[in-house]
Amino acid sequence: MNLIGVFFSVLTFFFIAKLFGKAAAPHLQEYGGDYFPFVLIGIAFSTFLGVGLGTSAGALRQEQMIGTLEAMLITPTRATSIVIYLSLWNFIYSSFNILVYLLIGRFIFGIKFSLSHPLLIGAVFFLSILSFSSLGIISSCFVMVFKRGNPVNWIVSSSFDLLGGVYYPITILPGPLQVISHALPITYALQALRGILLAGYSFTQVRTEILALLGFALVLFPLSVLLFEFALKWAKKDGSLSQY
Amino acid sequence: MSETSIILTRDLTKYFTPSTNLIDFFPRMFAKKPVVKAVEGVTIDVQSGEIFAFLGPNGAGKTTLIKMLCTLIFPTRGEAIVDGHDITKDDEAVRRSIGLVTGEERSFYWRLTGKQNLKFFGALHGLKSDEIQRKIEALVDLLDMQEYVDTRFNEYSTGMKQHLAVARCLLSDAKILFMDEPTKSLDHSSAEKLRRFIKERIVGQEKKTVVFTTHVLREAADFADRVAFMDRGVVKALGTLSELKRKIKVPEATIEDIFKYFI
Repeated sequence: MNLIGVFFSVLTFFFIAKLFGKAAAPHLQEYGGDYFPFVLIGIAFSTFLGVGLGTSAGALRQEQMIGTLEAMLITPTRATSIVIYLSLWNFIYSSFNILVYLLIGRFIFGIKFSLSHPLLIGAVFFLSILSFSSLGIISSCFVMVFKRGNPVNWIVSSSFDLLGGVYYPITILPGPLQVISHALPITYALQALRGILLAGYSFTQVRTEILALLGFALVLFPLSVLLFEFALKWAKKDGSLSQY
Repeated sequence: MSETSIILTRDLTKYFTPSTNLIDFFPRMFAKKPVVKAVEGVTIDVQSGEIFAFLGPNGAGKTTLIKMLCTLIFPTRGEAIVDGHDITKDDEAVRRSIGLVTGEERSFYWRLTGKQNLKFFGALHGLKSDEIQRKIEALVDLLDMQEYVDTRFNEYSTGMKQHLAVARCLLSDAKILFMDEPTKSLDHSSAEKLRRFIKERIVGQEKKTVVFTTHVLREAADFADRVAFMDRGVVKALGTLSELKRKIKVPEATIEDIFKYFI
């Protein structure tokens, strides 16, 4: 069923690309001028990053609801590690999903991806996972303290869709919004990935994006762990760890 | 604190405030307004290898106290040392020494079998897969779980669930086992069987320390070495039955008489 869903999603954007493709071409010269491959990478990767954002908080909420959270937190395993482990399956599953998007693009719609720098693709993925799962851990702090779905996830994912260059290049945004775009890790992840996969960019051509992603990961990951430890302590002081 | 003390608390206190929501989150960060006094000034000293009972009616603060000792709730005031480690400053080390059995059946995954649940929690205890397998086999024999360990948890009877909870608690070689109303919902004979197993096997042979809560007077009298009578968060009396009889100066007093005297 999921495969069919992915196919329909790709098909929808294929027709949208047919409709607006030529109008979009001047903005997409950097990536070969074709809107369909551009948006395909955008939606595939944003789905993946959406998982990174939502999976920790979702998993934590689920454990709260079914009642297993306390039993886990009484083990010597650190709470942050537990939240990360709980998210792993979703990451594996969505990695498979992204592959399906790209395979459909390649074999059904004939998009030619450049796979000459697989290590570079891996590096972008790794740094993106680190940045986005950190944001996910931060959003799970909200679940830990307030015991409900959280606005952090909603705000971040909406702003990523709007300003991260998922459906259109950020160059069409007004100046002030472009400034915000450059403060989002998804912008760099998508620029790097599109550059590598569509234009065959080498490391030197995506160095800025990779360094930016590294910077996000180095700041966000320790920050998320720190905030999560604080949220856990808050819940323990509040006595609300097992509440849901 | 004696040399054999394994749990020591001093003035351990927990006040609860109403549950957190967004509107009062920030004001509460700066205002301390204790609302419910769940546990108040508890000072106890549990010896290694002892069976220690917290006895009291519902709402006496027994579960909150156990949860504090298990590092699931941090105290408002006071301190507790469990196996040499402070529950707030060194909670990870405390969790290496303890196991918890609750009457809460929601603490398992209902769609997994008993064995799969044990494997999962064994991994969280940092055990390697072959070690987990070996321990599960030993525990299944020990607790007579052969017939249902491969059955999904949602098909378990209350007794089976309680056995699985004990098995999970024993997976990690914890020195101290906390049991929150371990015989809750069990019929008389299953409860008796479980108590005998804990006394003879877990404490008698394995030399573990057991701290349990109950509101059943007879259970505390027959099963525990020492009893702490709790009411409204306060330990009203503590000692062996004979010590407590001496305290109320009625040598022939039953546990019911002692309970009536203090609570």
